[in-house]
Amino acid sequence: MFEKSTPEPAGSGQTTPEQSAPDDTARSDRIAVSIRHLSKSFDGVEVLRDVDLEVREGDVVTILGSSGSGKSTLLRCINWLERPDSGSIHIGGQRIGVNDAGRPMPVRELAKVRARTGMVFQSFNLWPHLNVLHNVTEAPIHVLGKSKAEAEALARDLLEKVGMSPKADAYPSTLSGGQKQRVAIARALAMQPEVMLFDEPTSALDPELVGEVLAVIKDLSAEGYTMVIVTHEMAFARAVSDQVVFLEKGLIIEQADPETFFTNASTERVRQFLERNEG
Amino acid sequence: MSNWEILWGAREQFWSGFASTMEIFGLSISAAFAIGCGMLYLLEGSRPRLTVPVRVFIDAMRMLPFLILVYLLYYGLPAFDIRLDAWWSGVGALAVYHGCYFAEIFRGARLTFPPGQVEAAKAHGFTKGKMFFRLILPQIVMQTRPLLGNQLIYALKDTAFLVIITVQELTAAANSLSGTYFIPTEAFIVVIGFYWAVSVVMEIIIKQCGRFSAKRGFDHV
Amino acid sequence: MNASAWQMLLDGAWTTIWISGVSIAMGVIAGLLIALIRIARIPVVDQILVLYISLARATPLVTLALFIFLSAPTFGLSLNRNVAGILALTLNTTAFNAEIWRSAFRNFSREQREAAMATGMTPWITFRRIMLPQMMITSLPGLINEMSFLIKGSPAIAVIGIVDLTRVTNRISAVTYEPLPPILVACALYMAIIGCLVWLQRLAERRANRLAM
Repeated sequence: MFEKSTPEPAGSGQTTPEQSAPDDTARSDRIAVSIRHLSKSFDGVEVLRDVDLEVREGDVVTILGSSGSGKSTLLRCINWLERPDSGSIHIGGQRIGVNDAGRPMPVRELAKVRARTGMVFQSFNLWPHLNVLHNVTEAPIHVLGKSKAEAEALARDLLEKVGMSPKADAYPSTLSGGQKQRVAIARALAMQPEVMLFDEPTSALDPELVGEVLAVIKDLSAEGYTMVIVTHEMAFARAVSDQVVFLEKGLIIEQADPETFFTNASTERVRQFLERNEG
Repeated sequence: MSNWEILWGAREQFWSGFASTMEIFGLSISAAFAIGCGMLYLLEGSRPRLTVPVRVFIDAMRMLPFLILVYLLYYGLPAFDIRLDAWWSGVGALAVYHGCYFAEIFRGARLTFPPGQVEAAKAHGFTKGKMFFRLILPQIVMQTRPLLGNQLIYALKDTAFLVIITVQELTAAANSLSGTYFIPTEAFIVVIGFYWAVSVVMEIIIKQCGRFSAKRGFDHV
Repeated sequence: MNASAWQMLLDGAWTTIWISGVSIAMGVIAGLLIALIRIARIPVVDQILVLYISLARATPLVTLALFIFLSAPTFGLSLNRNVAGILALTLNTTAFNAEIWRSAFRNFSREQREAAMATGMTPWITFRRIMLPQMMITSLPGLINEMSFLIKGSPAIAVIGIVDLTRVTNRISAVTYEPLPPILVACALYMAIIGCLVWLQRLAERRANRLAM
């Protein structure tokens, strides 16, 4: 099951056990997400192979790769929607999925760690029985225990931020894909997560609606949100990322800042990929 | 002598009740199937003046309890000098009532029947009747078999209502045995076992038919 | 038919409605509980419930009502007719409702469930706040359809001596010697009751379709 070789000292709390390499820019050195030796197979096919990845607070990390490279699985492991076969993941220093005793986390504890992440899905996954406002307030009220008034005030601010306040009373079925995705972003933000996870947020959208969603994500990056984004939008990745990761058959084969990645990639495979995706 | 031994001694009554139920069931669902097919044919529109009355009749039957139809035939028809005995009232009511349900099931499938097939048949010079019986009906019956199977189980259960108008069937047998020997629990457990066994056998048969239909591409219902 | 015949018919209709109503309410809730227990897949308990559902679906209501009413005294229980009737109808409808609820649970969108878990909802909160409200909307047409079936099966309780809307026609014709008029009126009343349910079912279907969009 889980590697016993990565026990977490009790009470490690918010401090990060791993030291990150010093950086030339004056960014935070605190680690928001740390992934170590992560492996996962589906029916005997290895989807992730010994993946290591660190996301510093305030950084935007985009994960690129052709379909089937394991990038969505990697993202879904971060909040334990997929259970890895081995390896460990820490969110803000707290290990997810496995408790201090090395056993699978009880569901309540797991839910608490998950609440520290926010996720935006390719297919939006709004709850159709709730209107836009209540989609956003549902988790803050019933998970964080916020009062209705407090949750609604926060939700209205967030809907304003994503440009959806006029539709606060609308039901999801009446919205366009781009509008649904912006609501989904507000819903994830409402939990005030330490890291936002985006799983191909524009892949299910009509081309003319992609821009409005990307603009919202760009705004978030400017505000300093920590984000991990799986995407196919190259120009967007280049503009928004602090770090680009390229996944191929479950292995990270290139990891660099966007300038280096897009102009001077070290592996032939990445150069091919970029050529094919630019024209 | 244990209660079960008493029942074993009275097994003849169970058998005759069971045989009677199966006879009523077999006869009435055969008739109901024919009625359902006939109604579907009328709904095809070859007799335009009958289409609306047939639909109204089907909907009316679907809004009535089975027993009230039995009452209509058994107690109500004598007002028109038509006298059916309990047995024939029961069989007649089962046939008409479930015939309407069969018709409704067929009608639902007919709505989604590919019109291209009908056009192709017309182009090949099929007459209306031939087209219906050779082309439309067989496909619709195969396609609706899970619903027909459910309806058969409902029809089987409805035969038990006939105990109320004194038809000597399976439930009546349990009722009279439990009255004679005062062992209702055991008597009814046996009878419920009979109904259950017949339902399970019918379900298995329908599933087997499913394999047969699946070979012909009717597995998507 | 005179005024007292009409009064008797209305009383019979009321008996049908309240006994069916109580059975429906209990059957919908018990069906949900059984569906949830089955989803939990507890060994032995699950097999027992499968057997119960299979038996309840195959047992005619008349037979079940007689069974309960006649055999209860042999266990030292003296059941009043109405209680026995309600018990029979409830045992029958619960089995069907359990299957309706279970299929609503099984067909529930995995993605919506993931979205709920991703926000940190526990399985219980996810069930209560996200799944159950939608399962109620999607199951309602099926549940109402089952209510129609229950009303259509309810004359079975006449067999244990409850004077419902069907049985009351015998009582009236015993006096008037004209069985046809009260039976026709009873038919009309049944059509009114079931017509209402069919109409409600259509509304519920429209609502469920809107949710599925």
